[in-house]
Amino acid sequence: MGCSSSLPATNAGGGGLNNVNSGNSDIDSKNFRVKLVLLGDSGVGKSCIVLRFVRGQFDPTSKVTVGASFLSQTLALEDSTTVKFEIWDTAGQERYAALAPLYYRGAGAAIVVYDITSPESFNKAQYWVKELQKHGGPDMIMALVGNKADLHENRSVSSQEAQEYAERNSMFFIETSAKTADNINQLFEEIAKRLPRPTSS
Amino acid sequence: MEGGGDAFGSSTAPLAWHDFLERMRQPSAAEFVRSIKSFILTFSNRAPDPEKDSASVQEFLENMEGAFRAHTPWAGSSDEELESAGEGLEKYVMTKLFNRVFASVPEDVKSDEELFEKMSLLQQFIRPENLDIKPEYQNETSWLLAQKELQKINMYKAPRDKLSCILNCCKVINNLLLNASIVSNDNPPGADEFLPVLIYVTIKANPPQLHSNLLYIQRYRRQTRLVSEAQYFFTNILSAESFIWNIDGESLSMNELDFQRKMDWARERLLGLSADLENRDNQANPDVQERRSQNLKANRSSDVSLSLKDPIQGSGQDMRRDNDVSVGGKPVERVQSVSDLEKKGATELLNDDDLNKKFQEYPYLFARAGDLTIADVESLLNSYKQLVVRYVALAQGMGVSPETTLAQTAQTSSDLVASEEPENVSSVVNNNDNSEGVSKTSDDVASDNYHTEAYEQMTQKTAVGSSDDPKVTKDEALHHPENA
Repeated sequence: MGCSSSLPATNAGGGGLNNVNSGNSDIDSKNFRVKLVLLGDSGVGKSCIVLRFVRGQFDPTSKVTVGASFLSQTLALEDSTTVKFEIWDTAGQERYAALAPLYYRGAGAAIVVYDITSPESFNKAQYWVKELQKHGGPDMIMALVGNKADLHENRSVSSQEAQEYAERNSMFFIETSAKTADNINQLFEEIAKRLPRPTSS
Repeated sequence: MEGGGDAFGSSTAPLAWHDFLERMRQPSAAEFVRSIKSFILTFSNRAPDPEKDSASVQEFLENMEGAFRAHTPWAGSSDEELESAGEGLEKYVMTKLFNRVFASVPEDVKSDEELFEKMSLLQQFIRPENLDIKPEYQNETSWLLAQKELQKINMYKAPRDKLSCILNCCKVINNLLLNASIVSNDNPPGADEFLPVLIYVTIKANPPQLHSNLLYIQRYRRQTRLVSEAQYFFTNILSAESFIWNIDGESLSMNELDFQRKMDWARERLLGLSADLENRDNQANPDVQERRSQNLKANRSSDVSLSLKDPIQGSGQDMRRDNDVSVGGKPVERVQSVSDLEKKGATELLNDDDLNKKFQEYPYLFARAGDLTIADVESLLNSYKQLVVRYVALAQGMGVSPETTLAQTAQTSSDLVASEEPENVSSVVNNNDNSEGVSKTSDDVASDNYHTEAYEQMTQKTAVGSSDDPKVTKDEALHHPENA
């Protein structure tokens, strides 16, 4: 399976961005937040990627949030800004595809995930990319992610093919392994860098 | 976990509401009270128009929140106190406007009926597999707990309280999924697992007027507070509703003909059920039919002790455990469960203008602890015994023997460990910016809060007169000091 839940959760302190004021999308020019939506076939490891990313704070047995399909994590960047990701997971089964617009509406970023061992999931990813291009916000940052990179002996989607597809669609592409944590932070850092900075102060 | 900033932990929420009412009673709040009253009055002078009504409420709340700093009762308050006052205002205004704006146009009423009917039919044959719920995550017995949370939605008038019911339902589901994933050594559950269960639970719970409830939250929950985690889970139930509206054969992985046949069968079954009530013409399964008609009869009777069980058993008890007694052992397929009856009864009661009469024989219902004397103990104990006997008799009549009930209670209370503290989500409703650092609070206080609020609604209904009365604001504020 994509991510192991056996690792003990480290209790590293949170990023510390905890603004009392409840604003809408951004907080100020140095600290802003963004809604990020996860799309992809069921079983490609969408939620594992997020859990990996927030692992520092996430304890699988903790019951402090409503659930793991919504998680948030703050990332501090080199330019001393912080980005708080509010990550919305979506159900990937075919029968729920029509509901996706409810979730990606207003999202500042989208991660489209496929499984490098499953060509069908790559086809599905291309479907989501088209869908987002048609109906997503014009400024949405999109990332194409080939997950389960640790299973390279079973690879059936070449990284070159995916890379070319991503370039043609002006998205960035990265292969990750939620299991080994490979490239997980890089993925979110790259998205954070590409996000347009709020202009208001 | 990130702490702090949790102005609306479930333990503080009732206090905040109490504080709000307290400040409203101060003479310095007179101007403030006048603005609210005149705003509410503007509604009685025009025809319902959801778009316009929603916009004007949102605008009013925004302006008033902005003006709080200038109002004497709130001058010099911290941001948290101001936020809390904003919550209080929203609840206050919407409780007043509820009858005027909830399901106020014929389209909404019609949609409610259609959705309710569709779910009544679907719930009779839908299976977890039809929605891609994996076997290791199937747990219909424990899902009853989630259904129960959702069914409370009609017990409240304030948008935040209704939203809490949805979030509590989601939280129970998530805890069950998480436990199942640990047991089966699977990945932690995400939306792939969550949404299907939420849809299933929604269909099985089938709370009346779901459509109107969702619209109401969308329109009247202050927009700046419907963000982040609360917004995510609210989106999930909107998405469940949308899925259910569009359910056909394909979306349940069955062929269309088969689907239509099942819908027809379900319709006949429901019609048969009501026909059975008329002529007691027992058909295929006399045993079940008999029991059903008894259920329906019980439901019609004027004995409200069961429906009011939750509100009056409030203090310090684990409410879900109480509820489980009533849910106990009812197969999910059963058309009317005890909880259905309870829910239906409670809804009817809230809409009943003769509520006062119904409660006349329960002299302690509106009593406060301080009002009681030692001499009341005997009479209270008698009432308690009567209540227990009636309840057990009723449970027996429904086909749940007391032994079964006890066994079920024991079993479900161990399930409860899995769904520990769903009330905590109320902090999510309130403090959206702090969703990864929701503080733990006392379950007792939280469920107390729920009891008190449901109770409060009943009280309001019986004790507070017409809302046109200019003194109502004060009356009501005076009437609920026990909220804390």
